[in-house]
Amino acid sequence: MSLSLKRWATTWVFVMTGISATPAGAVDQAQVDDIVRKASHAAYYQGVDGKARVDMRIFDAQNRERSREFTILRKDIDDAGDGDQKFYVYFHSPADVSKSAFLVWKHVKGDDDRWLYLPALDLVKRISASDERTSFMGSHFFYEDVSGRTPDEDNHVLLEETDNYYVLKSTPKNTGNVEFAYYKNWIHKTTFIPVKTEFYDASDRAYRTYQATRVEMVDGYQTVTESKMSDSRIGGYTQMRYSKVDYDVDIPEDIFSERYLRSAPRQYLR
Amino acid sequence: MLTLSEHASRHPKFWFRLSGALCLLLILLAAAPTLSPATFSFLNPLHIDTDPENMLREDEPVRVTHNHLKQEFSLYDVVVVGVINRDHPQGVFNARSLKNVYDLAAFAQGLRWEENGREQGVVGVDLMAPSTVDNIEQAGLGTVRFEWLMPSPPVNDAAALQVAEKAMRIPMLRDTLVSSDQKALALYVPITSKDISYQIAEKLRAKVAEFDSNDEYHITGLPVAQDQFGVEMFKQMAISAPLAMLLIFLLMWWFFRHLRLVLAPLAVAMISVILTMGLLVVTGNTVHIMSSMIPIFVMPIAVLDAVHILSDFFDRYPRIRDRNKTICEVMEELSAPMLYTSITTCAGFASLAFTPIPPVQVFGVFVSIGVGLAWLLTVTLVPAYIMLMPENSLQGFGMNTDKDGEEHTALARFLHALGRFTYRHAKLVLVATLLVAVGAGYGISKIQINDNPVKWFAESHPIRVADQALNARFAGTYMAYLALQPAAPATLEDARNRVAALLNETDAAIQEPARALISVATAQTRDEWLREVQDSVAGAREQTDTDALWDAWDALGQGLDAVRQSAETFKQPESLVYIETLQKYLQETGLVGKSNALPDIVKTVHRELMQGEAEAFRIPASAPAVGQTLITYQSSHRPQDLWRFVTPDYRNTNLWIQLKSGDNKDMAAVVAAVDRFFAQHPAPTALKHEWFGLTYINVVWQEKMVSGMLEAFLGSFLIVLAMMAFLFRSLWWGLLSMLPLTVTIGAIYGVIGWIGKDYDMPVAVLSALSLGLAVDYAIHFLARSRFLYRQTGSWRETVDAVFGEPARAITRNVIVIGVGFLPLLAAPLIPYQTVGVFISSILLFAGVATLLILPALLTAFDLFLFKNLQPTREAEA
Repeated sequence: MSLSLKRWATTWVFVMTGISATPAGAVDQAQVDDIVRKASHAAYYQGVDGKARVDMRIFDAQNRERSREFTILRKDIDDAGDGDQKFYVYFHSPADVSKSAFLVWKHVKGDDDRWLYLPALDLVKRISASDERTSFMGSHFFYEDVSGRTPDEDNHVLLEETDNYYVLKSTPKNTGNVEFAYYKNWIHKTTFIPVKTEFYDASDRAYRTYQATRVEMVDGYQTVTESKMSDSRIGGYTQMRYSKVDYDVDIPEDIFSERYLRSAPRQYLR
Repeated sequence: MLTLSEHASRHPKFWFRLSGALCLLLILLAAAPTLSPATFSFLNPLHIDTDPENMLREDEPVRVTHNHLKQEFSLYDVVVVGVINRDHPQGVFNARSLKNVYDLAAFAQGLRWEENGREQGVVGVDLMAPSTVDNIEQAGLGTVRFEWLMPSPPVNDAAALQVAEKAMRIPMLRDTLVSSDQKALALYVPITSKDISYQIAEKLRAKVAEFDSNDEYHITGLPVAQDQFGVEMFKQMAISAPLAMLLIFLLMWWFFRHLRLVLAPLAVAMISVILTMGLLVVTGNTVHIMSSMIPIFVMPIAVLDAVHILSDFFDRYPRIRDRNKTICEVMEELSAPMLYTSITTCAGFASLAFTPIPPVQVFGVFVSIGVGLAWLLTVTLVPAYIMLMPENSLQGFGMNTDKDGEEHTALARFLHALGRFTYRHAKLVLVATLLVAVGAGYGISKIQINDNPVKWFAESHPIRVADQALNARFAGTYMAYLALQPAAPATLEDARNRVAALLNETDAAIQEPARALISVATAQTRDEWLREVQDSVAGAREQTDTDALWDAWDALGQGLDAVRQSAETFKQPESLVYIETLQKYLQETGLVGKSNALPDIVKTVHRELMQGEAEAFRIPASAPAVGQTLITYQSSHRPQDLWRFVTPDYRNTNLWIQLKSGDNKDMAAVVAAVDRFFAQHPAPTALKHEWFGLTYINVVWQEKMVSGMLEAFLGSFLIVLAMMAFLFRSLWWGLLSMLPLTVTIGAIYGVIGWIGKDYDMPVAVLSALSLGLAVDYAIHFLARSRFLYRQTGSWRETVDAVFGEPARAITRNVIVIGVGFLPLLAAPLIPYQTVGVFISSILLFAGVATLLILPALLTAFDLFLFKNLQPTREAEA
C-alpha cells in the first residue's frame, strides 16, 4: 500500500534528511536525501497506525535493573508526507505508575505538544520542554528517540556505502538544543531500517549508541522488535522488546486526546 | 660498643667508605625506578601519598563502607569552584560573568583523558553548573516546563538575574549552586579519582586566567586540599629540612668554633636521613604526610649524640692534647648513656608500630631505624672523623682553660650558678615543679581533639581563602553522607502473606486457578518468588478467551507488582516524612549548612505539578503518588541524579550533607546529634544508618589515632621505665629519669590545652618525640651524676662537676636543636610549623626540667638515692 510501513514502537534515533555535500562515492544530494527519507519512513511511519506492547528494561552502570511495561499507540496524521503524528503511551507496570499515560502530538514544524496523566495525583499536565532530548521515563532513550527526530533538523552526508549499509553522518543545523556534535547512522540497504546510530561529542567520542538487535516481519512490514540504547556517560543501557505488534488497526484519532488520558481506551491496550 | 668506636678509630676510612657506599646504593635503588619506571619495574619507585584516607587500613570497615556506598549511590569526590563578584550589584549574576561560568562549565566537562586504560578526569554528566542542571517551573496554566537552568549564556543582565531567581526556587540548588544572598555561584565538579584533583584544579585555574573579568574564582574542597598538600609537602621536604640542617650546622660551628669538626655530626645526620629515607622507598613504603616528617625527626636525634661527643671532646681536648686519648676517654664516659638514650628513643618510636594507623606505624618504625643508624654512625664516624683530621688542625680547639679545666665562659659560669641554685633551693624548685604539674593538668583537661586537612594550610593560602569565602556564602564545601536502610530485610514470608490476602480479594472467576498457579512457585527468595509468580500470572492472562478474564488476571498482576513494591521503603510517604523531620532537625542543630535528600526532590516536583503553589511543597499522600512524582522527575536531562539519593530498589537512601566546617569536632557533633535523633524519634519502618564521605572518614581516623597514640605512648613509657630501672639497677632511679619527660610532656600538652591549639595529628605524634628526646637528657644527667659521684663520693661535690661538662653538653644540645628547627615556622604548611614549634619547646622544656628538677630531687633525697653507690667502686660502663 502506498502508505508503507511502520515501526515506531521501536523508538529510535536515526531519521535523517537533507543533504549538504557529496561524499567520496559521488552519490548526489538527491540520493542521500532519498536514503534519509526512506530511513525515517522505515523507522517511524510504517502503516497508517499501529500499536505494540513494550517491555522496557533499564540497566544502570551497576547492572541494577528496573523495568517498565507500556503500550504505545501511534497514528499518522500526515501519513502520505511522513509528517505529523500522534502517540499515546499507557503504562501497565510498575504498579505504582500503572494507568499513567502520556500523549504526544508530534509536529514536524514547531515544538511537539505533550501531556502527562498521573492517576495517583489525579492530574493531567501539559509538559513544555526546551528540547526533546530529555530521558524517556528514566531510561537511556530520549523522547526524541521514541517519537523520531525530524530529518530537516540536520544536514546529512553519506560517509560510506558497504555491502549492506549506507553510513550517514548527520550534523545538527541548530547546535543550541542538542547535546551531540553529530551522529552516524547505519541504514540497511534493502529495508532502510537504521540498525545502528552513534552519537558523538565535540571531541569525536561516541558516547551514545542505538542498536536494533532484532528485526522481524510483522503484517508485511520489517519491524524492529528489540532495540538497545547505551550511554557511556552515565553507564548502562536500556533494552526495549516489542510484542503484540499490530499495524493498520484503525485507531480513532480522538483516542489521542486529553480526554482519553483519564479514561484509557482499554480495547487498544490489551 | 666501645669496641666499635675503637675499631672506627683504628680504621677510620673503612667506616666512611662503608657508609658512603650504602648511601649511594640506596639512592640508586630509589632513584632508578622513580626516574625510569619501565626499565626498573622490579624495584619500588618513590610513591607520594597524601590521602588522609590511607591513615586507615584499606580493609578498615569505614573505608569499605565508604567505597561501597559511594559506588552504590554513584557519588564522586568533588572539586568546588566558587565564583564571587564584589563589584556588580547583581554579583556574578550578570551577563558577562555568567558567560564565563558557561564557558568554564563546558571546559570542565571536556577535562578527561586516558590513564592506564581507564578514563580519568571530570565526570561531565554529573557536573553541577547553571548550564548543566535542570530547572522545573510553571509555563502557563496547567503546564509545567523542564529545561536547562541556563541553556545558553544570558543575553543581558536581566536574563542573568533570572537564572539566580529560578535556582532559588529549587531547594537542591539554593545555597548549593546559588549563594543565599543570590550574589555568588558555585560549581561542583565531580572527578573520577581524588588524586587528580590538583591537576583538575590547575587546569581550571589556567582556564579562569583567560577570562577578562573582575570575578573571583575560588577552588576548594577536601580532595583539592589533600592533593595540593602533597605538592607542597614535596617542596617543604626539599627546602625546610635542609634549611634546618644548615641552621643546626651554623650553631654548632658557633659553639665549637671548628668548621671541620662540626662537619662530623652533620655528616652523621645526613647519612642517617639518606639511609632511612632510602630504605623507606626501597622497601616500597609510601611517602605520606607522616613519613615525610621522618627526616625532621631523625635529624635532631642524630645530631644529639654527636653533640655530646663533640661537647665532651671540646672540654677535654685542651687538657689532654691527644685526640686518640681524648676520644677514648670521651667514649668511655659517654658510651653507656648514648647507647641507652638511643635504645630508649628507638623503643619510644617503635611503640608506634602498635597503633592501628598504617602511616603512623611506618613512621614509628622508620624513625626508630633512623635513630639506630644514627647511633651506629655516631659511635663510629665521629671518632673516625676526628682520627682522620690532622692533629695540628685541632690546634687551639677547645675551651679556654687555666688550671685543671676550670671553665670561664658565660655558659659555664651560668650553669655552675644554676647547679648551686638547685642545691640551695631544692625545695623551691620542687614546689615550682608541682605548680607547673597542676597547671599542666588543668590545661590537659581543656585539650580539644580536632583536625581539618584544609587547616593544614596557612590562613593566607588560596585554599584557606577559598574555604572561608565559599563557606561564608554557601551551605558548605565539606561533604558528608548519611545512608539509611531498613533494619530488617523484606522477607519471603511477608510477600506470601500479602499475596494470600490479595488472592482473597481477587475476582472469584480466577481465584482458584490463581491460587493453584501461585502455590506451585518454588523460588526461595522474595524477589525470585515474586518474579516467578508474576510471570506465571502474566502467562495465564495471555491464555484467556474473554476480556473479563483478561482484565481479572491483569488486575491480579498489578496487585502482585504492588506486593513487590511494598518493600520499597523510601517510596512510602511516612518514610519520606521521617527523613524530612531528620533534615529539619539537622538544620536546627546549626551544625549543618544544608542537607539534600529524596524528600527535596519529591516536594519540588510535586509543587511544580500542582501549579507551583507553596502549599503543595510537601510529600504526597500515597506511594504511587510519590512514584509518579519521581518518574516525572526522571523525565529530565539528568534522570541519573535520582540514584544519588536512593537506590533503584528504594531500600537505601542517602542524605547529602553540606558542612561549612571540615573540623573533625564539628563532624563528630553532627554524628552525635544524628544518633540522638534516632534514639528519640522511632522511624515508621525501623532504620539503620551509616555515615560515609571524606569528612566523616577523617573523624574515624582521628579517633583511632588519638586512642592509638595514647596506648602507644603509655606502652613505650612503661618500656622505657623498665629499661631505666634496669640501666640504673634501681626502680627509684628509673622513676627519677622519667620525671623530666613526664613534666615536659605534661607541660607541653598543658600549654596546648591552655592556648586552645587543637590536638591534631602532628601534636599527637609529638608525644612520642617528647618521650624519645626528653628522656635522653635525664639519662645523660643521671648516668654522669652517678659516674661522677663514684669519683667524688659526695653529692655536693658532684653537683659542681655535673654542672660542668655534662650540663654544658645538654645545654648546647637544647640550643642547637631547639633553634635549628625554628626555620620550620616559615613553612606554609601548618603541620610543619607545629612540629617546628613543638620540637623546640620540647627540647627547651626537657633541658630545663632535667637541669632543675633532677638535681633538686637528688639534693632532697640525697641519702636515700645514693645510699647504694659506693664511691670507691669502678665506674659502670
